[in-house]
Amino acid sequence: MIQKATLLLAAIIVTPLLGGLLSGLDRILTARLQSRIGPPLLQPFYDVIKLLKKEKMVVNVWQAFCVNCYVAAASISVGLFVIQSDLLLILFIQAVGATFLVVGALSSTSPYSQVGAHRELLQILSYEPLLMLAIIGIYMETGSFKIEAVLSWHQPLLIRLPFLFLVLGYALLVKLRKSPVDLSTSHHAHQELVKGLTTDYSGPYLALIEVAHWYEMMLFLGFCMLFWATSWIGMLIVGAAIFLIEIIVDNTTARLNWRWMLSYAWGMGLTLSLINLIWLYARR
Amino acid sequence: MESLTTILILLPFVSAILCYLVRIRIVRNVIILVSGGLLIICAFLLIPYCPFAFSPESLFGLKIHSLLQVGDFLLPLIFLYFGFKDKSFLVKLFSILQLFLIFLIDFFLLKEKSASSVFYCDNLSLMMILIISVVGSLIVFQAIPYMKNHEDHLHQSPSKQPGFFLIMLLFLGAMNGLVLSNDLMYVYFFFEVTTLCSFLLIRHDRTDLAIQNAVRALWMNSLGGVAFALALILIIIELKSTDMQLIILLPSPAGYFLVALSLICVASFVKSAQFPFQSWLLGAMVAPTPVSALLHSSTMVKIGVYLVLRFTPLLQNTFLGQCVALMGSFSFLAAAALAVGQSNGKKVLAYSTISNLGLIFACAGINTPEAFTAGVLLILFHALVKALLFLCVGTIEQHIDSRDIEDMRGIYAKIPLTALITVFGVIMMIMPPFGILLAKWMTIEAAAKNLYLIILLATGSALTVMYWARWAGTLMSDPFAGKFRPEKQPLLTWIDLGSLAICAGGLSVMVPWVYQRFFLNDMIHDYSPPYQMVNGILENGYGVFPVFPLSLIAILGFLVSIWFLWRASKARIAPSYLSGLETEEPGIFRGPMNQLVQAGARNYYLSSIFSESKLTVWINLGAGVLLTLLLGGTL
Amino acid sequence: MGLLKKFTSFSQKKSPWLLHFDCGSCNGCDIEVLASLTPVYDVERFGIIHVGNPKHADLMLVTGTVNYRNRKVLLNLYQQMPEPKIVVALGACGLSGGIFREAYNVVGGVDQVIPVTVYVPGCPPKPEAIIDGVVLALQKFNAR
Repeated sequence: MIQKATLLLAAIIVTPLLGGLLSGLDRILTARLQSRIGPPLLQPFYDVIKLLKKEKMVVNVWQAFCVNCYVAAASISVGLFVIQSDLLLILFIQAVGATFLVVGALSSTSPYSQVGAHRELLQILSYEPLLMLAIIGIYMETGSFKIEAVLSWHQPLLIRLPFLFLVLGYALLVKLRKSPVDLSTSHHAHQELVKGLTTDYSGPYLALIEVAHWYEMMLFLGFCMLFWATSWIGMLIVGAAIFLIEIIVDNTTARLNWRWMLSYAWGMGLTLSLINLIWLYARR
Repeated sequence: MESLTTILILLPFVSAILCYLVRIRIVRNVIILVSGGLLIICAFLLIPYCPFAFSPESLFGLKIHSLLQVGDFLLPLIFLYFGFKDKSFLVKLFSILQLFLIFLIDFFLLKEKSASSVFYCDNLSLMMILIISVVGSLIVFQAIPYMKNHEDHLHQSPSKQPGFFLIMLLFLGAMNGLVLSNDLMYVYFFFEVTTLCSFLLIRHDRTDLAIQNAVRALWMNSLGGVAFALALILIIIELKSTDMQLIILLPSPAGYFLVALSLICVASFVKSAQFPFQSWLLGAMVAPTPVSALLHSSTMVKIGVYLVLRFTPLLQNTFLGQCVALMGSFSFLAAAALAVGQSNGKKVLAYSTISNLGLIFACAGINTPEAFTAGVLLILFHALVKALLFLCVGTIEQHIDSRDIEDMRGIYAKIPLTALITVFGVIMMIMPPFGILLAKWMTIEAAAKNLYLIILLATGSALTVMYWARWAGTLMSDPFAGKFRPEKQPLLTWIDLGSLAICAGGLSVMVPWVYQRFFLNDMIHDYSPPYQMVNGILENGYGVFPVFPLSLIAILGFLVSIWFLWRASKARIAPSYLSGLETEEPGIFRGPMNQLVQAGARNYYLSSIFSESKLTVWINLGAGVLLTLLLGGTL
Repeated sequence: MGLLKKFTSFSQKKSPWLLHFDCGSCNGCDIEVLASLTPVYDVERFGIIHVGNPKHADLMLVTGTVNYRNRKVLLNLYQQMPEPKIVVALGACGLSGGIFREAYNVVGGVDQVIPVTVYVPGCPPKPEAIIDGVVLALQKFNAR
């Protein structure tokens, strides 16, 4: 019990550091793809520290509450992931954070914030069923929702769950706020709806949102890495590959609208998941 | 223990009559408070006696059986009277059918007393008793200030409150009777009494709309009654007994028995307003909010799911069971989709109720111990949280004279504490570690092997988050946060809302110990507890939910967030971003020609996809197909 | 403690987020500003992000003469920026009203409305000059 608690705490402390580095890498790769040089690797850390030192300014005090809940939920979901808890539970706890972000944005009366919040709700609507189905697929293959079952499985999940991996990649795209589904607040295009969801956040609260984003990014990359859990090299290859693919998709597509996003996620995404799940069911 | 049971069933009847006869308001309020308190105490005192069986022979000198027969005839006659009064063909048809069927049963089929015990209480019944007594009493307490405001507002005189409280208390007694009954004839009787109570309470305001919707509720619930009566006939013919505990022990049902079971399932679907029978519940929302809270979310609509959960041992490995699960999941998804397109607050709550009841039906259909546990936990927590939300919406409605979510925008500025309690209720509906999400987690893990169900559940779950988060955000959408000053409300309202909130939250933390006390034995026949409970963590072979550690972390997180909030109240308050055109007034900007313009936003209701008028036809069609499958499969 | 302070002021210099506001400019200066975001000049090397929202910005780049209609807007935006903040006035118009100084609707320069830290002259100033001005402004960050 004590061992798990220390592991959880360690995960919560180390993950933002890794997340920041990955975020910096993301910006450098994007810049190179755009024939630019890009910022230094540690840039996200400079951003967060600068934001933490800015003046505290809020639109209403409820924002501060929601931001803290978002960061808490994101960090706890990562912690639970590291202590190899239940995948479905981790999904639900991650959803707590996402919901609080939306509620915090809705609490500001600026129309940019409001529309951004609704677009974020539509984004959640599009990726959450897909994520749940991917986890169900893992259950159908390994017979358990616990991560320790995945880690002790005899073959990489990628072999039996290829379509579900693609679907998970789509969910990662939405979570990383990249084109074509960066509707609510875009990661690289900095002025969609005047920063959409996070328009009325500033200073330390914006820093916390960025840190929570890092937690979520690491969580979803962790999900993807579970698909080749039989060896460390495999996990790193899968993680790096999906990360690279996300960046390339981001730079080669334009932002589309919510109708496209919803119909694509529920149409293509559910169909692919269904095909994979039916195949797993038939093989049982 | 016999006296406790008698008190639980009869005390509400007595208090109801007293409330009707005594016309002094203060005395009536005292009667209500005292009887509610007694009900709560008796319900808790009943806990150590479970399980038990109880067969009273006579009541005040009259044979109970004869009283029941009289009641069985009286009720359809009352319905027939209203059928003539409100000129409804369907009500007349169904009440005449019921009279005929009851005639058949009482005079030709039921030869001797066929149930070994009239009342039987195991832990499932005990849970229902606790819900009805505690939540029901709290709702009736809140009805006291609510109805006073309601009548002042609508200028209704002479006051109709005596009649109102008569029916409300009568209803509590009928519900207690139903969940304690072991004899199906008694279940049928109390089933019909609740239909009557619902009808009378919906038409309370006597407006045209209220009468119309009450009639619709009456004929639909009577349809359920007819189905139940037909099922009774088939059971009596086939099995020669109406004893539920005996019936459950019988091996795999077939032939007429299976048809009877499917008819009971149909009656349950009607009572719990599943598709295609949902329109009565939506129409019932015109009733005063305590009625909606008591009947149409916490207790009456739970009758349907309670009955199906009771019969789960019989549904194992049958096509009927799979159909029930499919219909439940379909309702879960369909109701969530309709709620997304809805802006009327009470209708959103109604659709959410239908959605959660569908989830419980799915649990009953899946029929594994995990699913059963999930179903019972859902009944428990949904009753608590939905009652809280309905009472909050009632309070808000009386402040702003509107039920529309758009009118509740920024209500935090006017009634901060009520808004916060409402948001807390919404949080309890969709987030871990609270009970409803725990039950949803259990259901999804139990349903994971069934592809049809899991697709419906996954998409429904995502839609659920959307309409709740939207509502919570709208309530808090306030341009400027001044000092938090709780508003003035009647003391009874604060006690009610506070106790419901604390009960629901506290019970969520205590779920592992509730599980240990109530689920490990005496729950229902043929139930083997699926989870191990260690240190407040629920775990089985393929899933783990650390309830207590997560609750502790949640409480800690909440305290830290409150500290953040307090620190932020010292921060500089800036206006919401309006492209620099802000003026001193929050939300007003300088527009063209230097005119002042109010900035506004409205929620996405996605009416091009999710509007009620567009979807309902298709959903009813789909539900009709599934229902035909269910009934046809048994024949 | 001193090390922490050094690190935080270092971070402030390394991550200036820009808000660009056009107060009635002919768009010449604005085009030069946008040009500096392109791969040729690439200001993201310095950690500069062009945010559209005063609440996220440290630095405000103002172009154009200020007129009586948009001076209130300029003031609003400046007030919505959290401290610490700096203003850079670009172009001849921003400095003092430029050639439009005598017009009836012109207030005449950004410093008539909000305090300016750095002035970048030119009509329009080249992207290199703009970048120079921003880098100079960053050094003034810690002087405030």
